[in-house]
Amino acid sequence: MSDEIRSEIEREIADHTILVYGKGTKDAPQCGFTLETIQFFNHFGYPFEVVNVLENMPKRAVLAEITDWPTLPKVFINGEFFGDTDILEPLARSGELQTLLENAFAGSNVKPTIQLR
Amino acid sequence: MIDEATMVAMIRQALPDAVVRVRDLTGTMDHFDVLIRSNAFAGKSLLDRHRLVEKTLKPARDDGRIHALSIHTELLES
Repeated sequence: MSDEIRSEIEREIADHTILVYGKGTKDAPQCGFTLETIQFFNHFGYPFEVVNVLENMPKRAVLAEITDWPTLPKVFINGEFFGDTDILEPLARSGELQTLLENAFAGSNVKPTIQLR
Repeated sequence: MIDEATMVAMIRQALPDAVVRVRDLTGTMDHFDVLIRSNAFAGKSLLDRHRLVEKTLKPARDDGRIHALSIHTELLES
């Protein structure tokens, strides 16, 4: 069971350049921090996926184990774990995140829908 | 719900040099923003700093006394 969940997570991480595991969906976030993370990525304008794991305790347990990170949301960019907005905000302020996202989407045709300042 | 003194004591148990500022975000004593200054963060990535802080508060996380926590870390001024 745990192995199946693990493969599912690996597949989701591989399929989405920006992936957020959170509480609730993009349209109906059910936690302040998940909402904050959605707003954070909306600002950047790149596509991102939110996977709702609020009710999925086994998956939350596997995610916590893989990342050594107890809380939600959990953000992955290009397969790498980036914690939550407490980690991402300093990276955005220093400009590292913009570069990281540009590089992450460089191979695709995806362009941000919003002009960054 | 948890009071500030208890949180600070839990953090200082693992990080004895820590200077801690706790803000109660909602007035309900379970949503917090903490700023922790400690030299124990030296050489650690932001992810590892947060892991360290979460571990000090794990008992209060597990039993629900802390529902939401935003963490900021800095080194002590030398």
